Amino acid sequence: MSYLRPVYITGTGAFLPGEHIGNADMEAFLGAVGGRPSPLGRRALRWNGIAGRHYALEPDGRWLHSNASMCADAVRLALGSAGLGREDLDCLTAATTQGDLLAPGHASAVHGELGGGGLEVASFQSVCASALMAAKYAWMAVGAGDADCAATTAGEFSSRWFRPEFYEGGALVDAKGRLSMAADFLRFTLSDGAGAVVMEGRPKPDGLSLKVEWIDLVSLAGQFDPCMWAGATAGNRTEREGAWSRHGPVAAHASGALALQQDFHLLKTVIRAWIGVYLQKVDAGRIDPKAVDHLLCHYSARSLREEIVQILQTTDAMIPEPRWFTTLAESGNVGSASIWIMLDALMRANRVKPGERILCIVPESGRAMVGFMMLQVVGATR
Amino acid sequence: MNHMQGLIPEAVPDAAVSDVLRKLAVVWTGFEARLEATPLIRKLTRGRFELADYHAFLIQLRQQVQDGALWMSRAASNIDVAHLELRSTLMRHAVAEHRDFRLLEADFVASGGALETIQAGRKNIGSEALSAWMFHQASIPNPFGLLGAMFIIEGLGSIKAAEWGRRVRERLSLPPQAVSFLLYHGENDSEHMQTFAEMLAPVATCPATAARIVRCAEVTARLYALQIEEIVA
Repeated sequence: MSYLRPVYITGTGAFLPGEHIGNADMEAFLGAVGGRPSPLGRRALRWNGIAGRHYALEPDGRWLHSNASMCADAVRLALGSAGLGREDLDCLTAATTQGDLLAPGHASAVHGELGGGGLEVASFQSVCASALMAAKYAWMAVGAGDADCAATTAGEFSSRWFRPEFYEGGALVDAKGRLSMAADFLRFTLSDGAGAVVMEGRPKPDGLSLKVEWIDLVSLAGQFDPCMWAGATAGNRTEREGAWSRHGPVAAHASGALALQQDFHLLKTVIRAWIGVYLQKVDAGRIDPKAVDHLLCHYSARSLREEIVQILQTTDAMIPEPRWFTTLAESGNVGSASIWIMLDALMRANRVKPGERILCIVPESGRAMVGFMMLQVVGATR
Repeated sequence: MNHMQGLIPEAVPDAAVSDVLRKLAVVWTGFEARLEATPLIRKLTRGRFELADYHAFLIQLRQQVQDGALWMSRAASNIDVAHLELRSTLMRHAVAEHRDFRLLEADFVASGGALETIQAGRKNIGSEALSAWMFHQASIPNPFGLLGAMFIIEGLGSIKAAEWGRRVRERLSLPPQAVSFLLYHGENDSEHMQTFAEMLAPVATCPATAARIVRCAEVTARLYALQIEEIVA
């Protein structure tokens, strides 16, 4: 993409709603399905290694924010860290797994919260990797000279889908009142928040900027069925008439088609597919593990990480563990927002130096996708 | 949750071996994704798998398993004295597996099929191509490329067999003795894979051999997938 002008991340922002919530208190915020604690919760938390998270709702169900308002806050923070304001922005791209409204797009909702005059906007909806889809639009818009200052944001308000009323009275709850594992695990894995970065056609005069060297996204949906999804039952998820809307919202709820679910058996194969894509990039020279100074890998579970480490070592593709940076344990898994929340934390930790390379990896189990972004740290220009 | 454990041996220090293993892992994951999209495996993962599909699967597996020990024996006979260890390993491997096709026959019968039916089964187009390819490779002096083929086939045993066996059992409500080959391989093939690194180490340092191993894995993976694609009950 050398025919595009260089593009730099000049500001980062992360917005985590409410208080930091520990493992002991989290179920009070989500509510107990069938009025009793989840039998799976402790095991899920041991498996995913998450010790804390934030929710945009209160134990009584009241909302503190919307997905769009959290994204708007993250964009304001990112603009602030770039030394810019809303008036400087001429392009806004936004990503999420599920927006506040079914339509229109998430970017419109974020623009609505941000306020101000006309903007170019683009909405991206997928799971975690949607963050890099939106980032790629912003990167190309600035690179092409169509925009001088673009913000890209990603946000999740997952907890609202995890309240008991999303399951009770539906087929995902069995006769004994137990929620299916495919749905319950995600309740103990995903949480709320938003992140954003600002991209410009030149580095900022003071402080560090991050040159976006490239962004690659690889979907393997042509070969894999949905692995994490909402909007169909497990049995109907690949049927053309399987989507929730076929028989209307009441029937969809009764069949358990509205909740987020994860296919754990398929996930094992999808994990290997992600590793395969990474190893292919190492083999082709697109990624040189030895030239990566900081790795931000959005892994959704501790065990996933152990598996990745094992294979990477034996194939000489490992980036040494001291170079890994994550906020998963303390901030939770915030889906698409996680990569920006981690990047913001990395920049605030004063751990990066000019010339260093940061590799962001965003695997998405949704339908077997993985995204990569390579950044190079650039020093002050004056 | 170490799903790759069976596929990649632990602690491999040699850079040339790591290089081959990385390329083989890429071939493997591409193969696995291709299998996911075959009609037979789609039926299995989407809950549409019938007993007739299982029987058609067993018939093709039997062809390939029966040939497996034979091409391994032929390959062993083509390995020179400079690589005696490799020859021994292949011969042990062939001995360990050369009766396994009987397990498939027993599974076929235990799941309601007639012994004559599986014994009279013929190779589909993919099985024909795979078999011809394997015997051709095994007939070459020092056929080290076959290590790549073994990586793919052993990977199926250590990674896919148990998962497929579990799904077949669940879907068709079969007793374990009707799915013994898939379940047995899932339990035992991780040991086979441990010997893989030992076999790879003495030959992978030659760039031409390393390239041959990877190429052989690619062709074997494609032909194996063709065999699965061609199974239509």
